[in-house]
Amino acid sequence: MRLTRLGLLLLAPAALVYTLLLTLPILTVLDESLREYIPGRIGSTPDTPLTFQNYLEFADHAYLGFLWTTFKLAGIVALIATAIAFPIAHFIARQRSSAIRRAFIGLLITMMFLSALVRVYSIQLAFGSVGILAPVLKQLGFNLNSRTYVEWTVVAGLLHFVIPMASLTLIGTIQNINPRVFEAAQALGASRLRAHMSITIPLAAPGLLSSFLITLTIGISAFVVPWVLGKGRVIFVSNVVYSRFSEVANYPSGSAASVLMLMLSLVIVFAALRVAARAQGGAGN
Amino acid sequence: MKRYLDDLAAILMLVLLVGVVLFLLGPVVITMAMSLDARKYLGPFPPPDLSLQWYKKFFSEPYILKGLRSSLLVATFATLVSAAIGVVTAEAMHRYDFPGKNILAALFLGPLIVPAVVIGFALLLYLSRVGIQNGLVRLAAGHIIITVPYAIRTTLASTIGISKSLREAALGLGATEWQAFWDVTFPLARTGIVAGMVFAFAISMDDVAVSLFLTDSTNYTLPVALISMMRANFDLTIAAGAALMMGVTIIVILGLESLFGLDRLVGTGIYRS
Repeated sequence: MRLTRLGLLLLAPAALVYTLLLTLPILTVLDESLREYIPGRIGSTPDTPLTFQNYLEFADHAYLGFLWTTFKLAGIVALIATAIAFPIAHFIARQRSSAIRRAFIGLLITMMFLSALVRVYSIQLAFGSVGILAPVLKQLGFNLNSRTYVEWTVVAGLLHFVIPMASLTLIGTIQNINPRVFEAAQALGASRLRAHMSITIPLAAPGLLSSFLITLTIGISAFVVPWVLGKGRVIFVSNVVYSRFSEVANYPSGSAASVLMLMLSLVIVFAALRVAARAQGGAGN
Repeated sequence: MKRYLDDLAAILMLVLLVGVVLFLLGPVVITMAMSLDARKYLGPFPPPDLSLQWYKKFFSEPYILKGLRSSLLVATFATLVSAAIGVVTAEAMHRYDFPGKNILAALFLGPLIVPAVVIGFALLLYLSRVGIQNGLVRLAAGHIIITVPYAIRTTLASTIGISKSLREAALGLGATEWQAFWDVTFPLARTGIVAGMVFAFAISMDDVAVSLFLTDSTNYTLPVALISMMRANFDLTIAAGAALMMGVTIIVILGLESLFGLDRLVGTGIYRS
């Protein structure tokens, strides 16, 4: 049926909500990011000339530091998560026992749905500098107050969220690889390890790449985990946006950081979509 | 040599599985156990005596209760609005064909790509420019935009399987448009709508990053209250709160399991019967 007036009426609420609560706010941020910041004032002054000053601040040493921390830790998380999730997903996808399969999928889904708050609190209670495992970790020679240790607790917090998610998405990837190919390689004399290296991993490569990219965007836009577990020493770009709002009320600078984050997320998501589309296009061959 | 490497790989796989399960569950189990600690201070694990003191404290803290109340209010409101938008949008997409329909369906997922901090900050700027200062209204606005993609997505997914001829048959037999919707499409899409509401409520109750920007001194959500307590001092009251939230998550998961079966949610792929 062609779209009628009633159809437009049915689509109107969604159009209204997306325009008012998403499009216009983002345009406002874009506008604000091009305004001049006057210290002591909350927000920008309207009708001032447009400026790129807020973006140029990112070339500054301190800002590059935040960007570097964000990318470095999100990259480490994406690499570790994909490397760990792949064998886990393989174990579940090729699991013969339905009970074990269901138990693992149940565990992964529960862990993925776990509240961010419960997650950061639990990680802090377990691995934090006054946490339950602190005496053991000190015995093992870790310096719980070093920056490196704080960085690793942030990585642990992100992994706790991302490992279940990456495993669940990779289960689908592995299930769509024909197990006969692997069996054929073994029948021709390859060891299991060799067969995985030359059959399973290359066939799963697009899935692995898109899992890596999705994990990377989650890491880059993470807020609560670096905010709480980073203890103000490990600061992500998202935390900079919040402190521009809560501490100095420099809205133009916070807006520029927001626009930057949005651009980064869009670029990576589009890359992930392209990888996924190409993998689907090639699946029939 | 080959077989030796295979055995080694199998052992490593087992170590990895046990390690990941410990890493995922360990901290949560520690939190749940410590929430029952009878000591007045944060002592070593495990707690020597059990008590419900932290739960009592959790429910007698006015700051937390106020957050819980606005959280429930905002989550309920956002869930209902999102579900209603999800239903009318899915109905329009189900009924009509128009150019750009697939693009529109993709655009509905937009808020999922935008980092939560950006949504929060953008809404704060926009709402203060148009003069909306009330914390509850701002929170409701923020929670609608982060939950509506889930509501639209799940409802849309459940209407895709409904044959259009069912509606046409109802219309042919003399039903009005409204009756055809209420007696045919709506019952068939019900699981999708319920799933969307479960997601929406869970996302709303859990949000921190968007809410932080939209709270004011009297209207704040439970996660915002708990996270600022957590940053101020490390107290086991939050462990009790965390254990309660964990309980809610488990109830939601069990609900989804009985509605759809978690196994089916993941699917078994094409090479398995």
